[in-house]
Amino acid sequence: MTDQIREQISALLDGELASGEISLLVRRMERDAELRRAFGHYVLAGESLRAPGALLASPGFAARVGAALDDGPVEVAVAPTADARSPRRWARPLAGVAVAAGAALAAVLLVPAGERSGNRLAGSGMGSVQVNAPILPAGGASPTPAQNQRLAGYLVAHGQYASPIGRRNAWSAALAADPGITRVALETAERP
Amino acid sequence: MRRMLALALAGLAVLGGSGAAAAESTARQWLERMTEALATRDYDGLFTHAAGNQSETMRIVHRMEDGRSVERLVSLDGNGREIVRTPGEVHLYMPDRRVVLVEPRRDEGSLLKTLPAPGPELDSLYTLELRKGHRLLGREVRVVDVRPRDHYRYGYRLWLDERSAMPLRSEVLDGSGSTVEAIHFTRLAIDEPIDPKDLQPAVDTTGFQWIRAGRRAEARVAGPPSAGWLPRKMPPGFRLVVSRSQPVPGSPIPMQHLIFSDGFASVSVFIEPAAEKGPAPPESASVGSANAFTTQMSGHVVTAVGEVPAETVRDIATSLAPVATGSPPATPPTGPGER
Repeated sequence: MTDQIREQISALLDGELASGEISLLVRRMERDAELRRAFGHYVLAGESLRAPGALLASPGFAARVGAALDDGPVEVAVAPTADARSPRRWARPLAGVAVAAGAALAAVLLVPAGERSGNRLAGSGMGSVQVNAPILPAGGASPTPAQNQRLAGYLVAHGQYASPIGRRNAWSAALAADPGITRVALETAERP
Repeated sequence: MRRMLALALAGLAVLGGSGAAAAESTARQWLERMTEALATRDYDGLFTHAAGNQSETMRIVHRMEDGRSVERLVSLDGNGREIVRTPGEVHLYMPDRRVVLVEPRRDEGSLLKTLPAPGPELDSLYTLELRKGHRLLGREVRVVDVRPRDHYRYGYRLWLDERSAMPLRSEVLDGSGSTVEAIHFTRLAIDEPIDPKDLQPAVDTTGFQWIRAGRRAEARVAGPPSAGWLPRKMPPGFRLVVSRSQPVPGSPIPMQHLIFSDGFASVSVFIEPAAEKGPAPPESASVGSANAFTTQMSGHVVTAVGEVPAETVRDIATSLAPVATGSPPATPPTGPGER
């Protein structure tokens, strides 16, 4: 990635990129998976460091993210500050976000339903899919791609009947749903 | 438009009441303006979507064509998924799966009037507050706080552009005030010319599998459901607003899709025939602010999905039961003329 692209991404995130350049950069990102990943790293770094009162980057965080732009896969970790109130508190790129190049910055959280064991979620919100195929695996593991697809289908079908802002939230979640993400528990976060 | 006018008049009527009521009415009018703006303005924006422990950058392009909205939502990070809403269909492009899911567009005609919209009934379910906010993206901002009066729904904090009422930032908050999901725009162009190419998917679908939902789906405004599934007890404020059925390949029994709304949040329930290999235990999942819960009853798989807390989708899913057609529902359905 050239210095010019780096500068354009930085300017975009700072709101200082000219409108014409934004369009060109966005179209390029849509075509270029590597550029999308690099952009994700920039967002991760910028938003983590800006998150008000919620997170502090671990030592070397910025350097490692920067290195990731050139070197490919990288793992970074940020940790909650003392006033972070709960694991679900809004604190973008949170604990131990394993940002492997090629993985989307997205999450699918699995929540136990009561005393969860051997649970399955079945059915589909969209057309030609198997009836009663499990959506989620047992034991709270990440869903398989097929299960994830089914969940995305539900969200798309539901979004058609939600309010405009509800639809945007549901469909954004459908786009973000990615079973390839490795989730890292808060407890494993690196303290600054 | 007629609905929006009616809502605006309803809001003005409340303005004549107490100071608190007047303040809430004003906040509600901002919500109505926001809903109208999201559905009818042309816009092209970049935003960060964050939920749980992850964040993702997305682009949204929305344009009105012959009075109908067309829209494209694309993930700019990693998986490159896209949703494109054309005048006739909704396409979910999943390059990571090499699959395109296709659904006929469902918001035509009278059904549009039944979709969730903020109205005076919100006052009994949420408290609304309006205040001046700090500038965002160089724009003056009003902040609307939507706080639920109970634990059955999420709260929202919305930063609205004063000129257009477009949300520049939005957060979904749980009962403890913690953020469940957030969308922050880093760029938003409103009512500027949109190149039709920006509404086309960037995904090369060569070799992709196209999965189409049934085209013979029958959707109608909620009344006595034809399929005979009704809620026995619903969370306060949620009403059945739409009921539809859709063929399921390989099954003589159609899938039913019921939509419940409190005027702001909504929950979909999908009811499908279960496989013969016996019941499966219930399970839940969460993606962003959306929660899902699935259980089996009476030989069917019942799945509830919505942008509400996990307990709410669970309660709604487990409240449903097969009943004889014509039995009264636990919650009166909304008629087509009520919104």
